[in-house]
Amino acid sequence: MQLFDRLRLGLAVGTAKTVTTIVKQLRLGAASVLPGEIARRLHPRLLPLLCEQVRQGVILVVGTNGKTTTSLLLRTILERQNATIAHNITGANLINGLITTLLSNTNIFGQLNADYAILEVDENVLPLVLKDCRPRFIVGLNLFRDQLDRYGEVDTISRRWQQAIIPLPKTTTVILNADDPTLSYLGQNLPQKVLFFGLSETNLYLDEIPHAVDSIYCPNCGHSLDYQGVYLSHLGDFHCPSCGFEKSQPTLNSKDWPQILIGVYNKYNTLAAGLVAKEIGIDVDTIFDTVKNFKAAFGRAEELTVNGKKIRILLSKNPVGMNETIRAVKDLQVQGKPSTTLVILNDRIPDGTDVSWIWDVDTEKLASIGGTLIVSGDRIYDMALRLQYSQDLDNQSNLIVKEDLKEAIETALENTEIGETLYILPTYSAMLEIREILTGRKIL
Amino acid sequence: MMELKIGWLYPTLMSTYGDRGNVITLQRRCQWRNIPVKIIPLEQQTEIDAFSDVDLIVGGGAQDRQQEIVMRDLKGAKAEAISIRIETGVPGVFTCGSPQLLGHYYEPALGQRIEGLGILDLVSKHPGPDAKRCIGNVVFEITASPLAQDLKTLLDESPVVIGFENHGGRTYLGQVSPLGKVIQGYGNNGEDGYEGAFYRHAIATYSHGPLLPKNPFIADWLIQKALEVKYQTSINLTKLNDSLAKKARQAMFKRLDLTSMANNP
Repeated sequence: MQLFDRLRLGLAVGTAKTVTTIVKQLRLGAASVLPGEIARRLHPRLLPLLCEQVRQGVILVVGTNGKTTTSLLLRTILERQNATIAHNITGANLINGLITTLLSNTNIFGQLNADYAILEVDENVLPLVLKDCRPRFIVGLNLFRDQLDRYGEVDTISRRWQQAIIPLPKTTTVILNADDPTLSYLGQNLPQKVLFFGLSETNLYLDEIPHAVDSIYCPNCGHSLDYQGVYLSHLGDFHCPSCGFEKSQPTLNSKDWPQILIGVYNKYNTLAAGLVAKEIGIDVDTIFDTVKNFKAAFGRAEELTVNGKKIRILLSKNPVGMNETIRAVKDLQVQGKPSTTLVILNDRIPDGTDVSWIWDVDTEKLASIGGTLIVSGDRIYDMALRLQYSQDLDNQSNLIVKEDLKEAIETALENTEIGETLYILPTYSAMLEIREILTGRKIL
Repeated sequence: MMELKIGWLYPTLMSTYGDRGNVITLQRRCQWRNIPVKIIPLEQQTEIDAFSDVDLIVGGGAQDRQQEIVMRDLKGAKAEAISIRIETGVPGVFTCGSPQLLGHYYEPALGQRIEGLGILDLVSKHPGPDAKRCIGNVVFEITASPLAQDLKTLLDESPVVIGFENHGGRTYLGQVSPLGKVIQGYGNNGEDGYEGAFYRHAIATYSHGPLLPKNPFIADWLIQKALEVKYQTSINLTKLNDSLAKKARQAMFKRLDLTSMANNP
């Protein structure tokens, strides 16, 4: 590093650290984005300078759903090996967030202390990150329709990923979901070492393909794919009758693996993190043991208790995710008891500004549980309309609209009996707001 | 007893941005009025008879690849069936990608020009994979005749549509009447200030959100026309309680600084 570069790096790091301290001292929040933004302005080549200092390599985790849970599991496994990890746990997954994370593991001279950096990366930002970073692993979890207003379509994203990964050195290993046709196809067209994870459990097939499904057409020739069965959304066992494209062979046999938390979703997250850990050389017993003792990341099926009432927050940020959380609410609901659910729809940048996706969610299934539905958020009336149109004439739930979020939570709690669970289904920014109100701490 | 058959164009291929909401809205608004309603999915494997038998047609958006598959399937007898329905006055609502389908052709970002049905005198082109998409909230006033007059009678004021647009392709109109004039947003191409197209009883627009839940007057117009064309009699629909839709509209008008419209229905 040149002397000037070093000084400039020191200045950038020092300033960012001061900002972090101020933000935290004044209790303005967790300072997960702003310091990175400031430091980057002071030193544009900050990200590559930081990335190349990570001793055992950078692991990038991308995909629409499951980034935080997968990263957290992988981190927990690696920490059991006494590794030092830099990880953007707050979900700040744009460039500034990545820099902020790395800076927090960096001393005032710009020296970074981490064995691994696990970086959750926004789908659209991946190509940009790959210009500055030579990761040891790239983990591609899935590609669902999410925030299309910013990104365009699933096909386009996959093409951009391919263009960004191809020029990388052969030392990068790419870990992809075999059950996602778009990613399976991507993996079959990369020069790097590619390993796949996926399910091979026909007993988990869904009865029918849900409406919110994005890609059931062959990414190679455009012909309709034949599915032997679907596990979740468009993830399944498929082949193309026209060109012969088929699901890639997973490295691990999912039947032999335990899973974290609940749901098919988390089977995939487990396998993705497990495969990376195994490639790094960690023994399977340690991985299994960590999997069995794993606890949820915040907002991801997290449970809190307020005044003797349980609250479960189930992040619901896109059709596939929300369908899964509704499935979870239905499964957890005590038979015959009316439940209370608070749905909060925001349309800020991290949520996506287009809320039309709520019409791709099978909210009819939520309305059919009965009980009380409370609605709030920036786009409260859009969600209220969706729920109004979800009601069956002869099976109506009680729909309450509360513009003020605090009031909405209070009303929801009033409608929840002691010992019962209130389910909260928020979009991303709404989840942060909810936690701020419930726990009194903000995430900046 | 009156009943409606709603034909839904390629639901597994063309339902990208919550377009299903249009079908749900039409279905519920019929049910709330005790009008029996059937949803007929019109897919690749669907027989042509089903295409010729629908009283109302709904089409949604698609990704480029899916759009190509649809446009290659919707040819010959199927294309003719749809064309005849629209020419005889069967109402339809075509959002997002499906207006492109009704025009002469669509040029995708990559690949060959795809021929459309040629029912509407318009063409659509994608300016290339790196071109900016037209994304954001969109507001436009319906000006197409006689739709605008019909809606004015229904509403007692100028019909203003509120929605969200997200399209890479740009549409250019020939002799066909535009659906409306853009108040805020891009519209057909971000250049000429027009949004959508209107022909016979067919409404084509880039506006989703989806279109109908927050613009229920269009849903009611479609239902009314469908029944009138089918039963050859004039129809008066029962008014429904649309207070939630009204509030959703007011909230968006306020946010877009269009406060003068916030008082509209």
